[in-house]
Amino acid sequence: MTDILTLVFRTFMSQTDVRKELTVVPPSPASCSALLVGHSRISRSVLLLAAVAAASEMGMRVVFFTQTQIQSLPVSLQKCVPSLSPESLKKIKFSYPRTVEELLQQVAGLHEPPNTSPTPPSLIIVDRLEGYLCGGAGGSLSGFQPGEQSCAAHLSALLCDTAAFLTQLLKQRSPSSAPCRVIASFQSEVDTGQVGREASATDPILAVLDRYFQVRCTLDRDSSYEAAAAGLQDVWHVYLSRTGITEASCTEDCEDGPAVAQEWQLLISPDGLMEFKLP
Amino acid sequence: MFLPSVAEQLFQDIQKAYQETSQIPDDLLIALKFVFGPCALQALDLVDQQSVTCLSSPSGRKAFQVMGGSGCLYTCFVSCHYCPCPAFAYTVLRRNEGPLCKHILAVYLCQATAATQQESVSDQQMSALLSGTAAQ
Repeated sequence: MTDILTLVFRTFMSQTDVRKELTVVPPSPASCSALLVGHSRISRSVLLLAAVAAASEMGMRVVFFTQTQIQSLPVSLQKCVPSLSPESLKKIKFSYPRTVEELLQQVAGLHEPPNTSPTPPSLIIVDRLEGYLCGGAGGSLSGFQPGEQSCAAHLSALLCDTAAFLTQLLKQRSPSSAPCRVIASFQSEVDTGQVGREASATDPILAVLDRYFQVRCTLDRDSSYEAAAAGLQDVWHVYLSRTGITEASCTEDCEDGPAVAQEWQLLISPDGLMEFKLP
Repeated sequence: MFLPSVAEQLFQDIQKAYQETSQIPDDLLIALKFVFGPCALQALDLVDQQSVTCLSSPSGRKAFQVMGGSGCLYTCFVSCHYCPCPAFAYTVLRRNEGPLCKHILAVYLCQATAATQQESVSDQQMSALLSGTAAQ
């Protein structure tokens, strides 16, 4: 799954940063699912960038599930994706299930021929899992219900099983578009308050999601002095754990083998422009 | 959500032994009990009662359906571990005491002993079963 996230980071990389070529390695079947954990507003923008990057740069069909209508595309898209065309946007199908039951039905129906012809989707995105899983649709996040864990497991397992099935179909019909990946975002209940970051480790829903999503991408706001000194920009750290990313510098004197890039910086300007940097 | 390698090896051994002798030898039954605890005996019961069915739809999608001891039907996925039964929610998800429940274990044992029933359903029925909205 990290290939799409790497593509996002590379496409929206800061122009002032030293340009490095990042090899986008197709994910192994065991790492086709990624969970974005952090502020839902930032996650949603990253998901939209991922959808558009996958559709326009890699020609993938994308299914994007969200409870909230997409009003506008992130400003970074217009600036950084020259190949952005209405045709590539048509490869993204936005669906707006209101409840977890509707979401389960729509994901479960992805194997049906109307959804798989001429080619099945290669990327399934779910925005704000917490809106579906915690305390009813977009409702109060207070009070954990034991049934929510089972529901989180059902949804996660269905997403993974659907991706596994669609991967088999893609291998037969369009091998270059295989495998089918899943990216979802989740904002932990404990992260919405002033509780310490480590508390997210005890979030019972997140513990279940971690069983099924092999890659975790954590978005963490940088509140350090340096970040404040950076001026008006919002600074975020992006940590990838359990990644399959390799990075190769394009500088001539670099003969080093691929190294693992597990951390990025995300800078957000007041106008909403998002830029990724290697720290 | 993958099996520990010891469990994977055990299922392979059971499959091999069953192909050769049409039974599961005692040492493997003891190993099964050792790895999965009381779940093992209950899962073997489900295998004996031919409780596991592999459902297929015209799209090629497959899923397992397991008839529980109480007569409830549980739909389990092919590629990852999930069962809607209370034991999975409590023992596996909440208490983190093992990788699977007796229904998922029964699916593995049925596959190893070629005891899985086969049934065809429509694509729409398959979608309803996977989403948990099918009338059972």
